[in-house]
Amino acid sequence: MLETVFFDLFAGLSVIAGMGVVLARNTMHSVMFLIFCFFNAAGLFFMLDAEFLGVIMILIYVGAVMVLFTFVVMMLEINTARLREGFLQYLPVGGLIAIVLMIEFIGAASSGVFTSGAMATAEHLPQQVNNTVEIGQILYTKYLLGFEIAAIVLLVALVGAVVLTLRTRKDAKYQKIAAQVNVRKEDRMRKVRM
Amino acid sequence: MANVTFPFPFPEHLSSLMPEMFVAVIAMALLLLDLFIPREKKCITAYIAIATASVAALLCVSVNPAEPLVGFYGFFVLDQFAVFAKVLICLATALAMVLSVQYMKDLENVGEYYVLMLFAMLGMMLMSSANNFIVMYLGLELMALCIYVLVGYQRDILRSNEAALKYFILGALSSCMLLYGVTFLYGVTGSFDFVTIGKGLADAGSSSHTAVMLGLVFIIAGLAFKVSMAPFHMWTPDAYEGAPTPVTAFMSVAPKVAGFVIFIRILDQAMPALQHEYTMILSAIAVLTMAVGNLAAIAQRNIKRMLAYSTVGHVGFVMLGLIAANDDGYAGILVYMSIYLFMTMGAFAIIIIMQREGIQGELLDDFSGLSKARPGYALAMGLMLFSLAGIPFLGGFWAKYAVFIAAVEAGHVYLVLYALLFSAVGAFYYIRLVKYIYFDDARVQFNFSESRLMQLTVVLMAIAVVALGVYPDPLMDLCKSAVAAMI
Repeated sequence: MLETVFFDLFAGLSVIAGMGVVLARNTMHSVMFLIFCFFNAAGLFFMLDAEFLGVIMILIYVGAVMVLFTFVVMMLEINTARLREGFLQYLPVGGLIAIVLMIEFIGAASSGVFTSGAMATAEHLPQQVNNTVEIGQILYTKYLLGFEIAAIVLLVALVGAVVLTLRTRKDAKYQKIAAQVNVRKEDRMRKVRM
Repeated sequence: MANVTFPFPFPEHLSSLMPEMFVAVIAMALLLLDLFIPREKKCITAYIAIATASVAALLCVSVNPAEPLVGFYGFFVLDQFAVFAKVLICLATALAMVLSVQYMKDLENVGEYYVLMLFAMLGMMLMSSANNFIVMYLGLELMALCIYVLVGYQRDILRSNEAALKYFILGALSSCMLLYGVTFLYGVTGSFDFVTIGKGLADAGSSSHTAVMLGLVFIIAGLAFKVSMAPFHMWTPDAYEGAPTPVTAFMSVAPKVAGFVIFIRILDQAMPALQHEYTMILSAIAVLTMAVGNLAAIAQRNIKRMLAYSTVGHVGFVMLGLIAANDDGYAGILVYMSIYLFMTMGAFAIIIIMQREGIQGELLDDFSGLSKARPGYALAMGLMLFSLAGIPFLGGFWAKYAVFIAAVEAGHVYLVLYALLFSAVGAFYYIRLVKYIYFDDARVQFNFSESRLMQLTVVLMAIAVVALGVYPDPLMDLCKSAVAAMI
């Protein structure tokens, strides 16, 4: 009973926060709503006995990703009024697609898959089960291949970001340390007969 | 905590992953090595990368198994089908890198360009061997991330940036759709494994129908974005036009091979129970794709945009193989992709050669009078275009023939008639370019200076297109046996 109440609380708040992200006029408010949304999602993870994922959600998404978002938003000057031009123009088509999708999602949710079988009878894990150990074990054994590929994906993201943003400016003056160290007295000094 | 046990043994068939491991190690080593190569000698990086791709193709052949091997706890499958696809992907990557050497040499950070190409190739190789939605998605993202960067590599050119941004945003959206679809299948079957999902869907019954259908639709939509099927093709012309031309060549072949291979695996293994439904969805998409691709190509004045729409049109034809949903259809897709590789790489090689001092060489008009100035290139371009149009006794004819016959045998006669109609429409814009080349007067000087490597590439591609047109049987047999040995 209490669990249902908390589920409704977290789920409802995350939906409201999600709508806030899209509808907020101020970009910074959107970011704050997104943070709130992540907190609620973390709450849902905790309710599913996935405490590791819940903590990671807060540490990584709220702690790192959203801080980055905040910086980006502060550095870019985004004119939301201009972005909203043509909003009404696209509303009929976009709204129709949204309504159709909504009906489909409700149909899928109420089709009985999620209310029968293993999902309906799922119980809470016993207290001694440690999420972190379990994930660690399976991640480095069964999911090893996926883990390794994910590492390469991150490397590529890093290389890509550097390649697209690093510019060696031709007009900038660089310090040549080796040349400075190797310089000799004769290079710099000249005897002049006065 | 004390009694932590590892219930899983060492991964089986580690050696079947050898080509991928080789590419990953060399690519990372090259990333470091490139730091020590001076700017004016960056072609060394290019040659190492080309050699890596070629050796990877040979390694793929060397691990070719007689029986399908499933390793890494069912994540990775190696069968002749995957090997064939990987060889095509390695070949396409190597050729695209060969086309890049001259084109990209003045660019900043050119060393990483080749490394990213190798990583994209790695992603596609993993996709071809995926037996699981996790590996499939990670391979797809690895490929896509590299290509987003490659498209935007000419940072000082506005249209390159625009292309990269459009491709990135639409690509990210399509990945979300794909993942969302996968979660529905996971919700119903409790597995990411293709075969387990296939079994689960067959047992699931009608109560889960809506959820399964949503999963199917989202997965098809997500993959359709990647292989640019209409109406998910919107990014294609802009990305193709804005990307550096060698990258355009790369994008129009390699990701399409990987995309169709994974399409075949998912439909054939994970969704046999939904064959009726997916055939209907794919037929509708194919009808639209063929029309959009071939009709929109007529209106284009820029050859890269024209070839982009032509790719969309070709994807529509290839889809007939998916719709046929039998071994002949899948073999037809492999035949189509192999021949398409040679035609496209040849055509793009000539477009790159056409780029010269002050002239982009990308407008159709720029080709006017090529036959009088450079009859050799005019002949090669003519061959490529006729082949793309599907004129008999050139490679492209057999490509179309293979998928059309398979679709007819599977009972999709009307769809094939429709495809033939749009094949004729497609012939119009290819042959219009031949008219520019042979019957119009030159507007500009053809004073380009191409490297020996480019000349050799054009000659090899032309020979391949003619040879496959005259004698396609070995390729067809190879594709048939590769599909027959599919898991």
